[in-house]
Amino acid sequence: MGNMNKLLDLTLRKFIRYAALVLLCSIPAYYLLVDLIWKHELKEHNRIVGETVKQNLQKLALSDQALQEKISLWNQLRPETKIAAADQYHPDSTYNIYRRNKYIPAKGLDRFQVLVTYFAVNGKYYSITVENNIEESYETVLGIAVVTFLFFFIMLGGFILINRRISSRLWQPFYNSLEKIRTFDLQQQQPVFFEPTGIAEFHTLNNNLEKLIAANIATYQQQKEFTENASHELQTPLAIAKSKLDMLLQSHPLTAEQSKIIDDTHHSLSKVTLINKNLLLLAKLDNRQFSNNVSVNLSALLQDQILLFRELAADKHFRIKQKIAPEVLIAGNTTLVEIMATNLLMNVIKHSKNGATVYIELSHHHLQIINSGTSRLRENGLFKRFGAASVNVPGTGLGLAIIQKISDQSGWTVTYKFENNSHSFCIDFNRPALENS
Amino acid sequence: MKILIIEDEIQLAQSMSEYLQAENYICEHALTYRQAMHKVLKHNYDCILLDLMLPGGDGMQILEEMKRLKKMDGVIIISARGAFEDKITGLQLGADDYLSKPFHLPELAARIYSVIRRRNFGNNNIIDENELQINLLAKTATINNIELSLTKKEFDLLLYFVSNRNCVISKNALAEHLSGDIAGMLDSYNYIYAHIKNLKKKLNDAGCRNYLKTIYGSGYKWEI
Repeated sequence: MGNMNKLLDLTLRKFIRYAALVLLCSIPAYYLLVDLIWKHELKEHNRIVGETVKQNLQKLALSDQALQEKISLWNQLRPETKIAAADQYHPDSTYNIYRRNKYIPAKGLDRFQVLVTYFAVNGKYYSITVENNIEESYETVLGIAVVTFLFFFIMLGGFILINRRISSRLWQPFYNSLEKIRTFDLQQQQPVFFEPTGIAEFHTLNNNLEKLIAANIATYQQQKEFTENASHELQTPLAIAKSKLDMLLQSHPLTAEQSKIIDDTHHSLSKVTLINKNLLLLAKLDNRQFSNNVSVNLSALLQDQILLFRELAADKHFRIKQKIAPEVLIAGNTTLVEIMATNLLMNVIKHSKNGATVYIELSHHHLQIINSGTSRLRENGLFKRFGAASVNVPGTGLGLAIIQKISDQSGWTVTYKFENNSHSFCIDFNRPALENS
Repeated sequence: MKILIIEDEIQLAQSMSEYLQAENYICEHALTYRQAMHKVLKHNYDCILLDLMLPGGDGMQILEEMKRLKKMDGVIIISARGAFEDKITGLQLGADDYLSKPFHLPELAARIYSVIRRRNFGNNNIIDENELQINLLAKTATINNIELSLTKKEFDLLLYFVSNRNCVISKNALAEHLSGDIAGMLDSYNYIYAHIKNLKKKLNDAGCRNYLKTIYGSGYKWEI
């Protein structure tokens, strides 16, 4: 299917992309939130500690000296708080710093939330610094990222799992319909019936598909019947025209010119008759009105055809070479195989110049007819009805279409090649021809 | 020889009866199923030309009725359907030959000739044309009792000419007689000249008078 995406894979991919985006955005959001809570809580904590120390010191009502001793002792014992003399009263300040851990240097930088507040005892100003270790930003980010990615992968797994379940259950009727349409062959004329489904959209889809297919079959049928009827209806007027010309030929006197006109008209009528017969044949082939199960001796049939071919082409002085394997038996329909061989050989007569080389080869695997030519045929539409491969020589325009149709129905493949200034038509029997037993 | 033409297309019936009258046949025609049935049951014909698609009924039923009544007239089915099954059914029901439309009048005359000869002359089916004798059973021709060595195609042509005595036969009719549909596929009739030239030469060499005339530009004529 090349670069085609399955419907569900496409939605899955979009979902995953969106989920990744959302989760990625959530990382800074979570970080900011966690950090804010941290800071807020620690600020609160520091304020309580600072305030308690402040009030306790003021309550003690110590002398200056005793106070100094106490502060000195305090500072030695409680490294997270520090009381120092200040020159004047300042408003509180809070900040956030990174500092190397004095006691466990291996820990590297630590982050601290700090509060500096001021108070007065005995008319002197002091500052108290309360600091508290706070989680480092990168650690927070890292933690959140890890959790986020973990959830992302859980989600991914879930999506894939759910997708598969949806695909196999919910979308099953859709895929069933697809398969039915894929295997539908207009030429078989078999209407398609879809299994009932509980889903409104699929129900509508299937209903409309059924209608569409039924209409197609009807149109195809009408077209075939039309071709058949038209061909039949043409036969009688053609017969009249032909018989009138035959009568005209009996009249006296008839000049050579008049005879020539009659002759030319006869020839055109023959051509129209043949086109008509060929259209009818194609309609019948489309209808599969030929059985395909007789063993045909292609070697013998081809020898007869080549005899006729040599006779009909006598004035063209072809150099004919042939290599016909004996007793090549193929499964097919004698009439059709004969028509195919005739068409192939008549093509050569029609499209080859005088003195051309013709090579006919039959093996148990293929039939090949090669004739020298000057330019490659227009391959596009070569086997189509009225595809007119060459404009130089008028034909019925149906010969190759018939050859291909017969090949198709017999399970053979027909190919055209232009190599070494030669046209080559090859019928490949695909499966080896029936062995002579 | 009496012939009944059962054909609903009056134009075609007219041409057929005109041409056949020139070949000394007595022609009647029926345009509908009822007319045809009436005539078939009431009279005897040497050959009945039966179109299958008739207003008022299927030509095949006429054939069935004839078979039921054991009527022995010769029948050539003339059909526009050209279906293989029709041909088989028709021949099984006792028809002598089958001709699909469109056809050449000389072809029709040749078919009628051979049906009538076969039915009326049985084992002694020999055409006598002065010094020329044609044995239809043995498929041989003799001139003054000397046998001609004719190919299958040449013998076929000879019979074709003889059964269209004194009528001009177009090259196209000959080509279609010899090669059927292939005539429509080819752009020239060159291949028929060789056969006719050979036939003419063999007849002349054996001392046959020049019955087979070339009508310049039109075709050929067996004049006797």
